Amino acid sequence: MPPLDLANLPDADVVALAQQGRERAFRELVRRYERPVFSLIYRMVRDREASEDLAQDSFVKVLNHIDRYRPEFKFSSWIFKIANNVAIDFLRKRQLDTVSMDGSPHAGSAAEVEASSFELADRQETALDELEAREIGTAIERAIARLRPEYRSCIMLRHIEGRSYEEIAATLDLPLGTVKTYIHRARNELRVALEDVRE
Amino acid sequence: MEDRHLLPSEIDLLLDGDAGFALAPLRAHARRCPDCQGELAAARRLMALLDDLPTFAPAPRFADRVMADVQVFEPWYVTLGDTVRRLVPASRPARVLAAAGALTTAFVMTVGVVALLGRVDLLVFVTEFVAGRARAAVVATVGNAVTAVFGDLAAGALARSGPAGVVLGVVAFLGSLVLATLLLRALTLAFHRQRS
Repeated sequence: MPPLDLANLPDADVVALAQQGRERAFRELVRRYERPVFSLIYRMVRDREASEDLAQDSFVKVLNHIDRYRPEFKFSSWIFKIANNVAIDFLRKRQLDTVSMDGSPHAGSAAEVEASSFELADRQETALDELEAREIGTAIERAIARLRPEYRSCIMLRHIEGRSYEEIAATLDLPLGTVKTYIHRARNELRVALEDVRE
Repeated sequence: MEDRHLLPSEIDLLLDGDAGFALAPLRAHARRCPDCQGELAAARRLMALLDDLPTFAPAPRFADRVMADVQVFEPWYVTLGDTVRRLVPASRPARVLAAAGALTTAFVMTVGVVALLGRVDLLVFVTEFVAGRARAAVVATVGNAVTAVFGDLAAGALARSGPAGVVLGVVAFLGSLVLATLLLRALTLAFHRQRS
């Protein structure tokens, strides 16, 4: 009997097969999402080695708890949520300097905005950073790298993964309005950054 | 709408084409106002740049690294199902042939079993015959082993003493084995202590 062609099955069916303990289904899920998950994390973290480790952690977390997956949610939303959390945790630990001048979007007053705003990049770019910047390359990538991490994940999911605002809200556990605000602010910052490049 | 330019949030609305918002007046304004047209075009260029961003690939052996840390537990019924599925031939004629073979075998075996059940005396005879042969084979093997290890004398004594003697012999053998192991262990420990 010919083996089941997993490549043509929807995510939910592949997950169901993985829940039955079929290794091929696990590998198919990795094959489908290794690029998007790695890209999301790489653009968040901007360090290839760390991104590989974090992407691996994300997959291991998801696949070792595949029995907890609830089919009413998209598998992709689940794995992106884990990947985003893993990347944000890493950035928090490393205190990365990829920040914007804006204060917290939740700030209610000018004082709160000031209190929650970050200083602009104060870390000297090392040779490795430069190498990574060159690999990631273009002006748009550099501009994305300067966004706040939460803006960045929203922009990635919206434009690279083509997710709707509602899906992004569900994936990142954020209110819909907040997602719209983040994307709006991120686009504005990108527009300004790219104008500077053109000038 | 006539006396002001589009707000950045309104440009986003036009870009995303969100349903539920009155987009017609915004579009109409963008058509008439060159400034807003320029803004919208710049925003569209940014969207195109973002949409065209490439994805990155991890290292080639990434999947293997992931799978090395994933615990895959395959339930027995899945393994059984897969094994059966692997045994089924791939081509249709071969499948038909295999099915015919399996049916014939099942038919012959069923007929044989039914016939055997109809002759209970024969069944009892065959069972006793097979059991007798098996018992004789086991006794011969054990007897040979005892003779090889302990000699003819021990084997003869064991044969004469019956089942109780056999049990006693086995217990004595296991007891000596345990004693010998303990003794060896004690000697090894003492040797190590002396060396250190």
